[in-house]
Amino acid sequence: MGWARANLLNSRFNTALTVIVGITLVLVLWFAIRWIFEADWAVVANVGGRFLIGNYNSDQACPGNDCFWRPQVSLMMVTFLMGMGWGVAGSKLMRNLALITVGACVVLAFLPYSAERMGMDVRMLLVANVASMAGGWAFARYTRFGTVKWVVILSVVVFILSLVVLQGASFLGIQAVDSRQWSGLQLNLILAIVGIVLSLPIGILLALGRRSHLPVVKWLCVTFIEVFRGVPLITLLFMSQHLVPLAFPATFPRNDLFNAGVVIMLFSSAYMAENIRGGLQALHPGQAEAARALGLASWQTTLFISLPQAIRNVIPAIVGQFISLFKDTSLVYIIGMLDIVNIARKAVEGRVEFQGAAPEIFLFVGIVFWIFTYTMSYVSRRIERNLGVGDR
Amino acid sequence: MVFKRAVIILVVLAAMVAVFAACASEEDEGDGGETAQEATGSRLQAIQERGRVVCANNDSLAGFGFLDDAGNTTGFDVDLCRAVAAAVLGNANAVEFRTTTAAERGPSMQSGEIDMMSRNTTWTSSRDATWGDFAPTMFYDGQGFIVRKADNISSALELEGASVCVLKGTTTELNLQDFDTQNSMNLTIVPFEDNTSANEAYLAGQCDALTTDQSGLVANASGFPDPSAHVILPETISEEPLGTVVPHGDDQWYDIVKSVMAMLIYAEAFGIHSGNVPSAETGDTAIDRLFGLSGSYGQDAMGLKDTAAQDVIRQVGNYGQIFDLHLTPLGLVRDGSRNALWNDAPCTACPKGGQIYAAPLR
Amino acid sequence: MPAFLRNLTYEGVPVWRHARIVQWAFQIVSGVAAVSLVIWFIANIGLAIDSRNIPFGFGFLDTEYQTPIGEHVIPYDPSNTYLYALVVAAMNTLVVAVFGIILATILGILIGVARLSSNWLVSKLALVYVEFFRNVPLLVQLLFWFFIILALPPVREGIVLLDALYVNNSGISVPGPSGFSSGAMLVIWMALAIAGIALGVLVHRKLAERELAVGGVAHPVLAGWAVAIAVIVGSWLILSVVTGTSPIEWSAPAPEGRFGRIAGGITLRAGMLVVLAGLVMYTAAFIAEIVRGGIQSVGKGQVEAGRALGLTPMGALRSVIFPQALRVIIPPLISQYLNLTKNSSLGGAVGFPELTGVGITMTQREPAISIFILIMLSYLAMSLTWSLMGNLYNRYISFERSR
Repeated sequence: MGWARANLLNSRFNTALTVIVGITLVLVLWFAIRWIFEADWAVVANVGGRFLIGNYNSDQACPGNDCFWRPQVSLMMVTFLMGMGWGVAGSKLMRNLALITVGACVVLAFLPYSAERMGMDVRMLLVANVASMAGGWAFARYTRFGTVKWVVILSVVVFILSLVVLQGASFLGIQAVDSRQWSGLQLNLILAIVGIVLSLPIGILLALGRRSHLPVVKWLCVTFIEVFRGVPLITLLFMSQHLVPLAFPATFPRNDLFNAGVVIMLFSSAYMAENIRGGLQALHPGQAEAARALGLASWQTTLFISLPQAIRNVIPAIVGQFISLFKDTSLVYIIGMLDIVNIARKAVEGRVEFQGAAPEIFLFVGIVFWIFTYTMSYVSRRIERNLGVGDR
Repeated sequence: MVFKRAVIILVVLAAMVAVFAACASEEDEGDGGETAQEATGSRLQAIQERGRVVCANNDSLAGFGFLDDAGNTTGFDVDLCRAVAAAVLGNANAVEFRTTTAAERGPSMQSGEIDMMSRNTTWTSSRDATWGDFAPTMFYDGQGFIVRKADNISSALELEGASVCVLKGTTTELNLQDFDTQNSMNLTIVPFEDNTSANEAYLAGQCDALTTDQSGLVANASGFPDPSAHVILPETISEEPLGTVVPHGDDQWYDIVKSVMAMLIYAEAFGIHSGNVPSAETGDTAIDRLFGLSGSYGQDAMGLKDTAAQDVIRQVGNYGQIFDLHLTPLGLVRDGSRNALWNDAPCTACPKGGQIYAAPLR
Repeated sequence: MPAFLRNLTYEGVPVWRHARIVQWAFQIVSGVAAVSLVIWFIANIGLAIDSRNIPFGFGFLDTEYQTPIGEHVIPYDPSNTYLYALVVAAMNTLVVAVFGIILATILGILIGVARLSSNWLVSKLALVYVEFFRNVPLLVQLLFWFFIILALPPVREGIVLLDALYVNNSGISVPGPSGFSSGAMLVIWMALAIAGIALGVLVHRKLAERELAVGGVAHPVLAGWAVAIAVIVGSWLILSVVTGTSPIEWSAPAPEGRFGRIAGGITLRAGMLVVLAGLVMYTAAFIAEIVRGGIQSVGKGQVEAGRALGLTPMGALRSVIFPQALRVIIPPLISQYLNLTKNSSLGGAVGFPELTGVGITMTQREPAISIFILIMLSYLAMSLTWSLMGNLYNRYISFERSR
């Protein structure tokens, strides 16, 4: 009661506000809950695992349907890394992330699907993530590889290995799956990871280039940044399929997914450059002057003094850009790729029996996205707090 | 005033760009003429080396091309691509499906990346000129309207002042505009990006009528909560012959695709379906010629195997089977429609009243 | 080391260690590399267009478009040219962008302030709002809004208020100008109206100065608005009485025909409502965070000082905190405006005929590459305008600071 008086009813204005907002809230919740119970969720259940891997294991992408284990192996490598991350950092944050991920896998393994829709092998592979995470944790704790350096090295290895496993090749004994057929959430994740990993360094280079006192370099960077920031991503994606292939000789191999990934990455790096430039601008010039006075060369000053502080200051903006990038991967619909949102659209569009179920499936996809992006912003806030940004 | 000035400025800018483009293209004229295929051989060779036919398809139109529960692209249009793959590669599954949005289909065809497009595409002269060559029409459609029964409308001409939902970027949109202009209907045309949106908008009452191909109307109506509350108007306001398209510039490949379509049609006319494909001479010369058991219909000239039709019909089925598999479940009736065969081939005196017909295979 | 290398010096320093020479060499190499790469790309594209017969060119721009455009803010007829159709689409984009920016700013400020409210319920709700709308892709939100607008009643069962406001799932209609009787009168009235606004500003300034100099309450804002409105309305009335017709013709919406479609007035059609709702709700979440950050960047002491001077909490917010926070808020705010403008390109996904959507429809018959080049240039122009405004503001701020 005392709490309510202090937080809800502490003035006449606030009391009125509480009452009005409360009534609206109750009404909205009432309608929302009623809708949730009335809605037909069969369409979501029907798409099922295709939200995650899309058409990857279909007859057309993988004749014989024996490709389902390949995304699973990639997932296991990721859970191994998460276990390792937990083991190395030992922080509550990493522990929670790892446990929640593995918990989600276990929950997925026990979904009440029929044996034809979801075989025992799929369920076993999902549960095996528990072992792989525990393995990663033990690997980090009980071997000399339990350092941040090895986590980073293994991350790169795992990423490349995942792409190889997903792509497949006849000389490896596993059949190739055309990258046009990579779809579902895994497509969003692949595009987002490539973009996140590469757009930060490119963004840093562009930001430094833009602040350079060399006019040619500066104007090249400014032009690049302004052009890529100045047009919508969907027009760039469209061009990536219809103009970019023409810009190379006809004998060049063409990969639509690669083109799309590069364009998303460049688009994001232009934004990243502006964020980092903001961080560099906010630095007190005294920092660089002090470094110079200590006898550091200008590249050393930039690399060891200016950049670390600038990046630390703009971590929220950088993570915000990562989140944007992840959300932007949904725009590949424009070039006919089946990311999770497009899978959802196709699930209702071509199917007469699910015609009325569009709101349900979009709400579901929205929640899936939200889980990922909210986790990202949560991690960012924790890192910020750990670095003590803002309490100087 | 302001807008006019803006328009003039834009015109001037565009003119500058156009002059620049004209100059640029003049410079290139000298070394033109060589196509991508001439450098690498014929399209058929390229396909056989690749081992797959690249097929532009739709993945969101019930019956014609859509994703099934397992994530495979299926449908009437899709089977046409599979038939071509069976003919040239002996394997109906050797197809690489390239899902194209309506917006992308023109540019994709023009880039030459795609061997054939089978994507409920209406054959029009401008598309024939810019996108590629159209093979025989495999489905005759016409644009119609569906309205609510409660509105008591019996003719499309009574739609004056109505709001009509239509799909964006299609010939139906253009036909509707013509219909509106010619009859001064004062329609409110509401274009939508996809079929679901258009259906939902019609059902919610945002539009008084929904227009698309008759086949689409029948399919849509079968998914409505109460199909009997809606009625399809008798008029068709346009011709929509749907067929497959191959890129310009390779006549051999165009001939192959046309012949495969003919195989599907004649197999049905001869009464041959996937279950009774002959592998030894039957004595009926027409059938034996079709299935490469005696005589020839020009397989060598086209670069096809003698027995290509056996693979096609065994793996994909004849025209009637494809129709029954994908379109009959939607509620489309074939008997008596334009999509019936012209007649049974053995009996030239037994007309079936349809328009599905192809150049004789001999 | 060979002798000739040793002699290769500039200002007594070997050239490969002379900072200025190395820098210039680097610049020349990177510049030449960039330019030749671009030339190579363009040459390849030219060759491909030519040899693969890919259509390219801008000749189509002055042929008739002959395609309906569902919603347009400037007059459009299917017999107009492609070029004009692109202008119509660009106007749609601009209108959505301008209204979207205004509404998103208002909503964003409200929610940003609510985030800091002492009322637990309000601040938590604002937090939920921000975390939800910021973290779900705009495309998904737009697809969802499409269905929410459809859930409104259809036109014949729509909501009607005072025969003036019509709300239904085809759009929202209100009375509005439908034309003007004579151009001269419109110009005269608009000139008078502008003069009225100028007069209002003048009155506001004078009274505000007097308030500062003399003390006491002079109600400068109230007086300014009163003067401006009085002049605008008064000139309208006088002109109407003198000439017998009003400067702008007014029409009210009313159902028409057997289908009861609304005619007359101004109608905000459903497609635009969907795009506006999606863009505003999405961008407002970002703006709210920017506003919150800006307010929090102002020291707590400032608020306390304001309160100590006898200002109400709202008053302190308005006259002490906001002016200071604005400096932190405006640069990221402009970047959000830029994003909103670009994000309107997703409108096509829900059928709204903005620039990209119309462009995609055009690619059905005309060269896609040419159309997309035009579209991208239009967006670039809009974005550079925003960037320019951002830079001008930055310059203004640093000028203010150095003063």
